[in-house]
Amino acid sequence: MAMLSDLLRFRVADAHGRTARLADLAISLLDTDYPLVTHLVYGQNQNTEGVLPWHAVRGIDRAKRLVEVENFDNAQDVDSLGQAVRLRWDVLDALILDLRNRRVTRANDLWLEEKDKQLRLSAADTSARAILRRIARGWYRGVDRRALYDWKYIEFLRGDPRAVKAGAVYHRRIIHLPPGEIAQLSAAMPYLHAAELLELLPEQLAADTLEVMSLERQLQVFEELDEKRALQVLRFMAPDLAADLVGHLDTETALQYLNRLPRESGERIVDLLRYPENTVGGIMTNDVVIVSPTLKVGEARQVLREKLKGPDFVYFLYVVEDEAPHKLHGVISLRQFLMAEDDQTIEELMNPYLITLSPLDSPRVAAYKLLNSQLAAMPVIGAERQLLGTVTIDAAISQVAPLSWRAQAPRIFS
Amino acid sequence: MKQTNAPDGLEPLKDLDLSGLPSRPRSIYPAVRLNIRGRSVSLRGLRRPPGGLLRWLVILGPGLITSAAGNDAGGIATYSSAGARFGYDLIWVMTLITVSLAVVQEMCARLGAATGRGLLDLIRERFGIGWALLAMGVLFVANGGVIVTEFMGIGAAAELLGLPKLLVVPLAAIILWYLIIFGSYGWVEKVFLVMTLVFFAYPVAAVLARPDWSEVARGALVPTLQLDQEYLFLLVGLLGTTISPFMLFFQQSSTVERGVARRHYGPERLDAHTGAIFSNLIAVTMIIVTAATLYQAGQTHIETAADAALALEPFAGAAATTLFGVGLLGASLLAGAVLPLTTAYAVSEVFGMPKGVNLDFRRAPIFFGLFTGMILFGTGLALVPDLPVIQWLVAVQVLNGVLLPILLLFILRLINDRRLMGPLKNSRLYNILGWGTFALITVAVVVMLGGQVISFLR
Repeated sequence: MAMLSDLLRFRVADAHGRTARLADLAISLLDTDYPLVTHLVYGQNQNTEGVLPWHAVRGIDRAKRLVEVENFDNAQDVDSLGQAVRLRWDVLDALILDLRNRRVTRANDLWLEEKDKQLRLSAADTSARAILRRIARGWYRGVDRRALYDWKYIEFLRGDPRAVKAGAVYHRRIIHLPPGEIAQLSAAMPYLHAAELLELLPEQLAADTLEVMSLERQLQVFEELDEKRALQVLRFMAPDLAADLVGHLDTETALQYLNRLPRESGERIVDLLRYPENTVGGIMTNDVVIVSPTLKVGEARQVLREKLKGPDFVYFLYVVEDEAPHKLHGVISLRQFLMAEDDQTIEELMNPYLITLSPLDSPRVAAYKLLNSQLAAMPVIGAERQLLGTVTIDAAISQVAPLSWRAQAPRIFS
Repeated sequence: MKQTNAPDGLEPLKDLDLSGLPSRPRSIYPAVRLNIRGRSVSLRGLRRPPGGLLRWLVILGPGLITSAAGNDAGGIATYSSAGARFGYDLIWVMTLITVSLAVVQEMCARLGAATGRGLLDLIRERFGIGWALLAMGVLFVANGGVIVTEFMGIGAAAELLGLPKLLVVPLAAIILWYLIIFGSYGWVEKVFLVMTLVFFAYPVAAVLARPDWSEVARGALVPTLQLDQEYLFLLVGLLGTTISPFMLFFQQSSTVERGVARRHYGPERLDAHTGAIFSNLIAVTMIIVTAATLYQAGQTHIETAADAALALEPFAGAAATTLFGVGLLGASLLAGAVLPLTTAYAVSEVFGMPKGVNLDFRRAPIFFGLFTGMILFGTGLALVPDLPVIQWLVAVQVLNGVLLPILLLFILRLINDRRLMGPLKNSRLYNILGWGTFALITVAVVVMLGGQVISFLR
């Protein structure tokens, strides 16, 4: 067992008796739980540094504080390290995500475990003692074991969103967290780290995570994303939130994305962007489940099986005519739909007494209307009674909740 | 009876006639016509950038606040002392330092925009924990001194306005603390900013005081160097108060907070430059006014804030004291809020601890602890009776000046790091100006310290 800060005060000696300062250690496989040290870097300064593979190490002499290697003449240039991560240069002092405790912290020191001549990165030290140890340069050696965090549960980010595309390897344990927690974590990081994090998440998770961030943060992070990734994320976001985001980009960028999105999701967003931000149209979503009034419940179940996969909001099925202008007839709750007999028609089952909103209403008034009704959502219809979308309870809450609350308000239906 | 046919759940939807309902948004909402996939659509949900005058106002932000907070109690004391003691002789320093301030502030904004990180954070990542602790020490010493001056300023302002100092200072501290922790910081900041507008009285007063403009021009353009202890002391003080260490940190972290994407960096440059020019314009007129009034009248030493306020008499007459008091109060409150916040922010950041005014005590104990501690420290020392206020104020600015080169060195090294900055790296012109600033301040500090040592040995 060794602390990186301590090891970095060791010297490197080769078989010919030449010595140099140990400058750094490099690891390559960050996707394993405890990455192996693969290279050592030695030398006085950046210009004279050399790199040796770890298998050239013959042993570590703790008493003499020496790392014994075969021959300095076999050393390679520092550039040969490529994408490998350097423990001192990249990881020490950098931001790390402590997934166990759900917090963003800094690596004050790193703990390496030695086994069969191999060194493995096994924990990060985040305690104040680690700082003391480093400043004291060997005069103080106290270790607070409770402050050692298992590397298995640590995600290391480089602070460069382009690294992901360039082939950098990540642990990716973070993808098991729910999107809300990832967003919460990312709020405590600089935005370049947050953008990097979004780059490495699977598309759907990245979209869900972005949705939960505050709008300012979304914009900041979104603009740092690679264009291809940005498009993917937009496509997977709920259309109302995607529209909010696109609506705040500068016009040229917005146009570019709207033209390049797949037809269906692009048009959804365009339809929402027709309405000003401060109207019901500006807060509704148009990703809803619709069903034809003439179907039998059994048939509807067949038809809807595929459709139910997509939208976030499936608590209501909206009964809409097949022919244009697709007039709204009524609504069925998912529970009613599940309980209904197969041979009932949709028209018999639905509730035709609807309270609806107009897309041009004031969003605050609409929000109170919805909250007072204790419904999960209210449909928005146009002058021809066509269904335009629906305002969900989350959107309503975020209209009327106090500012400090909005960031934390749950987004169940996005 | 008012009848609407909006669906309200009392009739089946099918039976309603909706033709009377509005179908298009009223034209007050501006629409943007876009051509998407060959189809022309008119979108009203796109946010259009504000045009005209509003556009300039939106850009002004961190730079303006930083500069307004820069003309705080210590600034006023130093500028007034310089004018009263040496007349127009020190104005050339301000001419030089305006360029320096603009350059340094812009570099900090750019560092923030390019990296999304604060200054201490970057120092730790690039140079290691030891240097970061050194920089943090500098920040603590400098800000600790300045925070005391802000509360002294509040106290002095209270006395000018005829209020008891012993009551106003603790009250102001509590209100500041409460507003920032529980209130809306953005709103508070604007009120303080508006209060500092009072200082625009100085340019007017400068004209009304009928200074000898040829003398002013000479003072502004011809550097005169006197190897007089007091002259050098005030010179370093002028440097230190114009480019205060806390301003560098604040400029950078507020740029980060504002969330400027790297791709859109640009307007911030203008913000930093305008802020620097505005604040130094006022600073220079302060020197001119005091030179034209107090210096000419032979009152070369300023002992209290009331003396400094006298300089506004040609402009405001009997109201000079009140006017000066309001401005001093605004500037001190603004800086009194910004300083502890900046310190707490930077320190939490360097240790990777939770930070931000939107958290609470339980989630960010260190951040709020530091914030509270700084305010307590400032209030406590400011209330010590019989402190020589003006001397303390100036001495703290000199200390700032002495510490400044250390931070400039870090900034200049960071901003030239290609890996960190990418295309936003310093240009050659900025490097010349930046290193020039560093050299100017270092030489001034060394000469002053040397002089102090020599006079001490004698």
